[in-house]
Parts: sequence; structure tokens; C-alpha cells
Amino acid sequence: MDKLLRLIGQRLGLGLLTLLVVSVLIFSAVELLPGDLAEAVLGQAATEETVAAMREQLGLDRSAPVRYLEWLSGAVVGDFGNSLISGERVSDAISERFSNTLMLAAYAAVIAVPISILLGIMVALLRNTLFDRVANVMTLTSISSPEFFLGYILILYFSVKTGWFPAIASQMGDTSLGDYLYRTFLPALALVLVVTAHMMRMTRAAIINLLASPYIEMARLKGVSPLKVIVKHALPNAWAPIINVVALNLAYLITGVVLVEVVFVYPGIGQLLVDAVAKRDFAIVQACCLIFAATFILLNLAADVGSILTNPRLRHPK
Amino acid sequence: MLTFVIVYYGVLIAASCAAAYFKQRQAFQLLFSLLLVSMVVGIVGGAAGLRFIAIAACLLAAAAGISYAFREFLVQIAKPSLARELRTAPLTAAFGMFIIFVYAVAAIFAPWIAPFGQAEVIDSAFAPADDKMLLGADQLGRDMFSRLIYAARNTVGLALSATILAFLMGAGAGLWAAVRGGWFDTAFGRVVDILMSIPSLIFALLILSIFGTNLTIIVVVVAIMYAPRVFRLTRAVAGNVVVMDYIEAARLRGEGDWFLIRREILPNTTAPLIAEFGLEFCFVFLLMAGLSFLGLGIQPPTADWGSMVRENATLISFGEITPLIPAAAIALLTVAVNFVVDWMLFRSSGLKER
Amino acid sequence: MTHCKPLDLSRRNFLSASAAGAALATGILPSQLRAAPKRGGTFRIARGHGQTTDTLNPAIYENGFMAGLSYGYNGFLTGVAIDGSVEPQLAESWEASADAKVWRFKLRAGTTFHSGRPITVEDVIASIEYHRGEGSTSVVKPTLEPIESIGADGNTVVFTLFSGSADFPFTLTDLHLSIIPASGDGVDWRSGDGAGPYKIVEFKPGISVTLERFANDWDSGRGFFDRIECLSVIDLNARTTALISGDVHAIDKLDLKTVGLMARRPDLNIHSVAGNQHYSFAMSTIKDPYSDRNVRLALKHAIDREEMVEKILFGYGSVGNDHPIGRGQQFFNTELAQTAYDPDKAKFHLKEAGLDSLSVQLSAADAAFSGAVDAAVLFQNSAKAAGIDLGVNRVPNDGYWSDAWMKDPFSAVYWSGRPVEDAMFTIAYAAGAEWNDSFWDNARFNELLVAARAELDTDKRREMYWEMQAILNQDGGAIIPMFANYVFATGPDIVTSEPFASNWEMDGERWMERWSFA
Repeated sequence: MDKLLRLIGQRLGLGLLTLLVVSVLIFSAVELLPGDLAEAVLGQAATEETVAAMREQLGLDRSAPVRYLEWLSGAVVGDFGNSLISGERVSDAISERFSNTLMLAAYAAVIAVPISILLGIMVALLRNTLFDRVANVMTLTSISSPEFFLGYILILYFSVKTGWFPAIASQMGDTSLGDYLYRTFLPALALVLVVTAHMMRMTRAAIINLLASPYIEMARLKGVSPLKVIVKHALPNAWAPIINVVALNLAYLITGVVLVEVVFVYPGIGQLLVDAVAKRDFAIVQACCLIFAATFILLNLAADVGSILTNPRLRHPK
Repeated sequence: MLTFVIVYYGVLIAASCAAAYFKQRQAFQLLFSLLLVSMVVGIVGGAAGLRFIAIAACLLAAAAGISYAFREFLVQIAKPSLARELRTAPLTAAFGMFIIFVYAVAAIFAPWIAPFGQAEVIDSAFAPADDKMLLGADQLGRDMFSRLIYAARNTVGLALSATILAFLMGAGAGLWAAVRGGWFDTAFGRVVDILMSIPSLIFALLILSIFGTNLTIIVVVVAIMYAPRVFRLTRAVAGNVVVMDYIEAARLRGEGDWFLIRREILPNTTAPLIAEFGLEFCFVFLLMAGLSFLGLGIQPPTADWGSMVRENATLISFGEITPLIPAAAIALLTVAVNFVVDWMLFRSSGLKER
Repeated sequence: MTHCKPLDLSRRNFLSASAAGAALATGILPSQLRAAPKRGGTFRIARGHGQTTDTLNPAIYENGFMAGLSYGYNGFLTGVAIDGSVEPQLAESWEASADAKVWRFKLRAGTTFHSGRPITVEDVIASIEYHRGEGSTSVVKPTLEPIESIGADGNTVVFTLFSGSADFPFTLTDLHLSIIPASGDGVDWRSGDGAGPYKIVEFKPGISVTLERFANDWDSGRGFFDRIECLSVIDLNARTTALISGDVHAIDKLDLKTVGLMARRPDLNIHSVAGNQHYSFAMSTIKDPYSDRNVRLALKHAIDREEMVEKILFGYGSVGNDHPIGRGQQFFNTELAQTAYDPDKAKFHLKEAGLDSLSVQLSAADAAFSGAVDAAVLFQNSAKAAGIDLGVNRVPNDGYWSDAWMKDPFSAVYWSGRPVEDAMFTIAYAAGAEWNDSFWDNARFNELLVAARAELDTDKRREMYWEMQAILNQDGGAIIPMFANYVFATGPDIVTSEPFASNWEMDGERWMERWSFA
């Protein structure tokens, strides 16, 4: 256990380093992008004179390293600066939207993760039967349509035709949890459809991969029932890839849902990031990317810790 | 209507009796359960429900028939060693291979199959289907069918090269990292963490805005975006293999890294990798759609399925099926690829049962 | 469906009178002439604009969401009336010197901001000055270039121009030139305090804005809803389904592809208003091969305008004739021959230019205008018949205006148009103008432009503007294939203006004050 704790500490330290590198990368990428904030804000109406004036006001005329270090010195003490365009504090601009994103991701994950792992175990058990095929065709079809298109179809059937759920998920004022769950059911369902297939198929593959191992054969020869073989013998060794793919998909639910946000008009963080990139609002882009990066690092760490805990060989390296 | 219902039940009853008489257990079970289901559906949904079942059953039977014939065809033309493998393929895998074959033919011979060029404007916008244009016209009056055929070439070619590139990079690095371990492993892990922690659409937006959008760059960017996922999976699976005793034994024998990867680890990690390949392949299609959403995809007027869905997506709200056609093209190929992948997965897992 | 005929604008009669004889504008407002619509209710609207980066800073309002909001919560000195004339707002009346160089605007008495603070001459001057001068980052800075100085005379604001301009009151109707509280050296826009018919309750950039009626508005004949919720819904499909499912009462920027399908629903009203909004392909006349007039003419004849109106605008628009003046404008040249698709003529002009074939690259992105990439593909197709190899270069939407427009020698552009000819010509076609995207410099055109600006005789002005349109048609560097209508829809129970203002989208973007429940 001590070793594990040390590993976690080590990984968190490395995570901070990763964040630093990400911030440098993002900063340079935004710098390399053609055009800057002044040109992007003024758009078609930009003139040389007004662009120059705006650059001066916002301090964009200083050299890139100076601006980066200035941002960094604030960031290490928890001050991510102000949005360059609105002047609003970055933390204020982001916090509400990020909690919206987290809520939706949690909603979708709570439905998708158990369903896909259960389905994965079931199709591994009933492999190559009609049930396996049907489950496969359904999940594969659901992920092979672009997610915005899935959203449109859900809206058509559950909102326009039947009127069961609202087409627009954007929140006006405070709502109760029940109301929230109701309003955001369609975007959550769209996300569930997008991530289920991947997790289910990985679970199935990981289990089937183990079924020819001698120890499984042994168990089977002993007369253990197929369900027990899978749950008691195969699953423990299959956890590593399953946990990894679950972590990947959880991260996707948080960082990759711009299109679903757009389709259901849900005020999450994805839209904020895309807009900020379009306007070259470095402070916001940086803060969003760092949040995403941190999410990723934590989930990965959790996945690795999970893999170690579930595999005795990794738990006690020789 | 009445004749249809009588014939329907008559055929089903006769077929199930015949199956029972000839001791075809599986066929009998299938036919008899179909008969029972039909009775329920017949009561609830009437003749329309029965017709639906009949059409669905006929389609399935046709697919099964084609798959069977295609498998036999493959078995006949293949070398004996390969033919033995092919004979074990389930019908679903044969179906998958058939669909892939059809797509490949469409892609390779696109200019000869398609009646019009992909950029040719021939009619008014959304002209209805007729003899000349099998699926009607798109929003600019181009032939939808021709564009679908050309898109097979553009989309599949692009997706395939990007996926293969991603796998070469990701799996290669993953296996190597697993074998070498130590700081090498950690360094790779960090690079991958950094790459993955930047959301893919934003990553694509940044890179393609900086470097432009020609085909090579799109393929490379997509490959770079997916390689880390492959790396992580490979690393995780290989990590479980590396700690096995036989690896230790091989190391003690003094085998090099390359030998370990090729002979010991790769054979034990192919199954999850192949499963992943099937899925990543279809994610790449979707990414292309997402990229063209940001105006970064394939240059127009080149056709690709992702952008064809996007261009007409709003029509679906009014019950028009136009956007479903390219979406169905993607879905069919995805399902087909994954059927074949399932079979390979099954084979490589060493399970002999069917 | 209601199709509005192009308006016959009559404002010019009033204008010339005011310029020549210093006649005063009367206080009669068009809105008072209408039967009073019903008050009350919460109006919800979904708009296809709006970004998380929007701010209340009037110097950088950039999209339709902010335009509607600006006209809703802000007060202005003057406004564009439904019929296209200029109407008094916070300025009760105005007069010009005989040479139209000095303009005096008398402020309405007793007006206040939403906070209760009275509107003073200082506020007005600070609000306009905010966009001028050295450090200004305002998008309207070039528009205000003609102003030499702004001064106060009791309750009157005095503008002194460098040269006479008969159309000056129109300049002040711009959505950026809102009157906001002066504060220190500048203005205080952060507070969200304004002088319009609605006050802001909550503004969430990129999501929504909620407004309430301002009880003490100076004009009791406008602002009929109690409350307005304006949502930013960028996705076409989401916007459309929101209206169909009754979540909102109105939407803008309809998907032209599906308007026909939408029109089958009897409860929805689809409005199509012809305005001055036009799409253009700008050629840089200082770069080869576009520097050759014959090459430009060849390209102008190689584009099928009718097809573009049919396939890009789905009929919701009209063909353009390579000049930016809309059919509804007073000095639209009705006798100018329409340039039509003619591959042979295009080949002829190519030969004149000494070329057998021509290969050019056209940069386009949907950011330029919706359907720009498709339009470029159609252009490519029609140019082929004229022996022109036109390559479509799709560039990213992101950064289009800073990297492609006016940088690439041939690019797609969108112009919202201007209510008066002088403004449109001055900002985009005069030699050296900041937004002259064809880098065009025609001596005769520039000479006419200055002369027409100060000319007070309508017939002479008409003659000059007609000649300018003819010059643009034959020599200009912009191919203007189409004028796009403003197309938006309202649900049942909504009473709108009849006809609509055509100077801007959504009833001149003054839907907040003009529309009501039935």
C-alpha cells in the first residue's frame, strides 16, 4: 500500500509537470494561430489603426514570453487572470459552465457505465448468439452516426413528435434536481448512446481474450458454470483494459461534448472553449484546457491505480 | 390482404413442419418461434405488422444467402490453408466481408460506376429521384448517388490511412514502452498524457488552422489524435503480458526487445487491438464530420459521407430521409468491419467452440 | 408567408429639406400613428447569433444577438424608421448649416437612463467620443472619420464635419453609437445602464439575455412586452425545432433549405424581407490577373447568378449587378443592363486580355456568408464552360476575416449594406478606404463620390449615383451575384410590423420595441 501511495504522489507530481507543458503548448499554439485577439474581435470591421490601439490596450504588443510568464506567475498562486475581451474574472466565467458540464457528464456516466459493463459481460457470455449480434448491431449503429445527427433524431422523436422532453436544455433560472434531470434527459441519452458501444465492446473483447487461458479451461473442466467462469475467473483479469476504456470515455464525456452542447443548447464549457479559441482569448482557452488536462490526468491516474489494484502481479512487482 | 395472411401462415407452418421432420433442430426452433411471434404481432399489428416481419425476414434471409454464397466463393478461390480458416467463418463475418468487398469495388471503380462526376451540377436543388438520378439531387443539384460512390473512395481511403497510421504509431510505441519500461515508459506516458489531455476537436482546430487543410495534414493530424488512445490500450494490455513468467524466461535467454515484441507480446495482445481497430476506424469517419463542422475537413466539392450528413442534417426534422443515406453508408460499413473483427478476435483468442 | 415588396423610400424628401432650409424635424413618431398593440406577456426568441465572448462594450458589438440587444436596451440620437427614413429618438430635432457641415441635435427634455440618472449633453458627447480619437478600438471608428469636432450648446449637441454630408443623421443610427452614462474620461458600459425601452435583468453571454420593460421610457408608443427572454441558439436545427415545439415565439436566420417544409405548418409565419444585404466575391484589382479589366469582366460573365439565387438563397433573394445598391434604395440604377451568365462573352473578354485560359483560386468559408462554399462550387462549375479553371479554396471559418479576406486576392465577402448610397460607396469602394476589399481605385468614381455627397439637388445626385453604379458594373473589382433577403419566422399570436423595416435583420433589429402579442 505504501508503494501505491508513493506511486500516486509521484504521478500527481508528474501531473503538475504535464499541466505546465500543456500550458506552454496551448500558449504557443494560440500564438501560432493566424490572427490575434484584436483582429478576431474586430472581425470584418478591423482597420490597422483600431487593431493597433486594441493590442496596446490589452498589452498584446509585448513579446510572447513576457505575457506567458506574467500569466504563469498569476496561475501558480491560483489567479488565472481576466478574460481579455470582457474583463470578467476567468474563474467567474468558467465555474458555472464547468459545473454544468460535470453534471451532464455524471448524469450520462451513471447510466452508461453500468449498462455497458453489464451488456459487455452478457454478450461475452452469450457470444455469437443472436443476442450478441443484435446488441452489437444496435450499439455499432448508434455510434456510427455523427453525434449531432443522433441528437437531431432524438429531438425529432422525443420532442417534436411526442412532446415528451424539451428540445432545448438551456436553463432559465434555478430548477430542482428532478426538473434538471428531465430537461437534460435528451442530451444525456445522446451521450449514453455515443459512449456505450465502445465500453461494451471493450469489455466483451477483454473477457473473450481470456477465455482460452489454461486457468479458465481448468475452471471449466471443474464444471464451474459459464456465468461463474466469466464473473469469478475472467473478469478480474480483464479489469485493466475495461477500466482504461471507461476512463477514456469518462474523459470524453467531460471534454468532448461540444457538438451535443450545440445541438441541445446546453451551456457547458465546450462552447465556451470553441468561442474563446475563435476569439483568441488566451486566458479562457488556457484555463479551459488546463481543466480538461487535469481531468484527464486524474482519470488516468485513477485508471492506472485501478489496474494495479485489480492485478496482483502488478500489485507486487518482482 | 387475406390471401397474404393465409399464405404467410401456411408457408411458416409448412416450413417448420418440414424442419421438424428432417430433424433440423435449429431451423425448427427459429421457424417455430417466428411463427409464435407472428401470431402475437398479427393480433396486435394486423396484416401490416406481418408484412413488416415478412420483409425483415426476407431481407435477413437474403443477407444470409448472399453471405453464404460469398463465403463459398471465397473458399473456392482461396489457397487451401486460407480456405480452411474461411470455412470456419460465421455468416455474420461473411456478410461483413461481402459488404467490405462491395465498398472496395465502389471505391476503386468509382469513376466507372458513378453516372456523373462528384462536382457536376445537373439539376435543380433537391430534384426528386428518377431514372437518371437514382437517389435524387442534393442541395446544389448534384447527383446524390454519384456522390455517395465517390465518397466511398474519399472517406474510406482517408479513414483507412489515418487509422493505420495511428495504429502503427500508437501500438508500436505502446509495445516498445511496455518492454523497455523504466524512464522510457514514463516519458512516453507523459507525452501521451499531454496529447490526450487536449480535447481532440480543439487540438484539430488549432493544428489545422496553423498548418492548413490539405489531405496529408488531415491524415497525420487524425492519426496523431488517435495514436495516444491506441498507445494507452496497448500499454495496458501489454503491461499485463510483460509481467508473465515466459517473458522473464525469454529475457533470461537474452532475447532483444524487438524479438520480445514480435514473438511473445504481440501475439498475446492482438485481440483487444483488433477490436479497437474496428471502432477507431469508424470514429475517424465521425471526426471527419466534426472537422467539416468547423470548416476544416476535406476540400469541396470532394464528397465525403460525414459532410454529406452534415449538409443535409436539418432535413431530418421534417421527416426527409436524405441525410439518412450517407449515415446509413457509414453505419453499414462500421457494422461490417466489426463483424469481421469479431470473428478475427474470436479466432485469435484461441477459443475453438463455435 | 408574407413577402414584403421592396420599399419605396421617401426619406430623401425630408432630408434635402432639412439640409437646404434647416427645417426642423417634428415630434410626430411613426409608432404613434399605429393603433396601439396589446401590452404584456413574456416574449421568448431564439437567435442564430451570440457568443460566449460577447460583451456590453458598444465598441465591439459584432453580431445580430448584440444588435437586437443594443437597440432594445440602448437609446440613440436618431433611428431608422420602418419606412427607411431617419426618425428622432433622444434627439428631438436637428438642423444643418447650409453647406451641411455643421449639424445641431437638440436633446429631448426629461429623458433618463434606466438607473434614473438624467441624460445630459455630456453623456451624449462622451458616448460618441468613445468611438473616436487616438486610442479608440471601435469598429465604427472609420464611419466617424468625417467628424471634425463635437461640442455642446446648452441642450444641443453640435457636430462639425470636415466636409458637407447630407446623410449625416443616418450615421448616428448605427447600433454601436448608443448613448450610455459618461464616467470619468470615458463611458461606463459595464453597468449595463441604458436608455432604451427595455432594461437588462440578466445577461449571460452566449446563452441568453433577459430584459424587462422600462417603465419611464420617453416614448409610450413602443415596447409592448413585459419581459423578453432572448436565447442564443446557434444550431439551425435546434432553433427550428424550438419554434415548432412552441418553446420560443420567434427565430431568425432560417435554414433556407427547409423553409419550404416549414411553410407547410399553418401556425407559423415566415417573413422574407428584401434589404441591402449582399454577397460578393472580391478580386484584388492590384494583383494579377485581376488587375486586367477584361479578366474581371470575364469572371463576371462566368457566374450564373440566377442559379445562385435559386440554390444558395432558395429563391429568397435577387440577382446582383456587381454594385452594392439594393433595389429598394432611392438611387438604384433601374436602367443599367443586367450582367448575365454568358460563357461566350467570358471567353471573348479572356481573348481581349490576351489569354486562352485562366486559372484562379477563390477563397471561401461559411463565415463569409452562409452557403459561401457551395456558392464557390457553383461558380467553379459555371466557369468551366467559359474555359476558366476556378479552384475552390475552403479556408477555416475561424480567422476568416483576418487571414483570408483582403489577404487572398479573390475571396468571398458578406456586406450588410448601408441605408444610404454614400455610406456604402465610401466604406468599401472609395480609393484607400479601410474596407475597400477590391483595392479598387477609379478616378472618375472617386470624383463623383465627393461631388454627390455635398450635392443637394436630387436629380443631379441621381445622375451621379447612377453613373457610379455603371462604373462599378463595368470596371469594379467585386462580383456581386446576389442580394439576400432577411428570412425569419414568428409563431402564432405575435403581431409584427407591417411592412417590416428593411435596413437590418429582424425588423431593423428593433423587434423588441415594435412587436407585441395579439
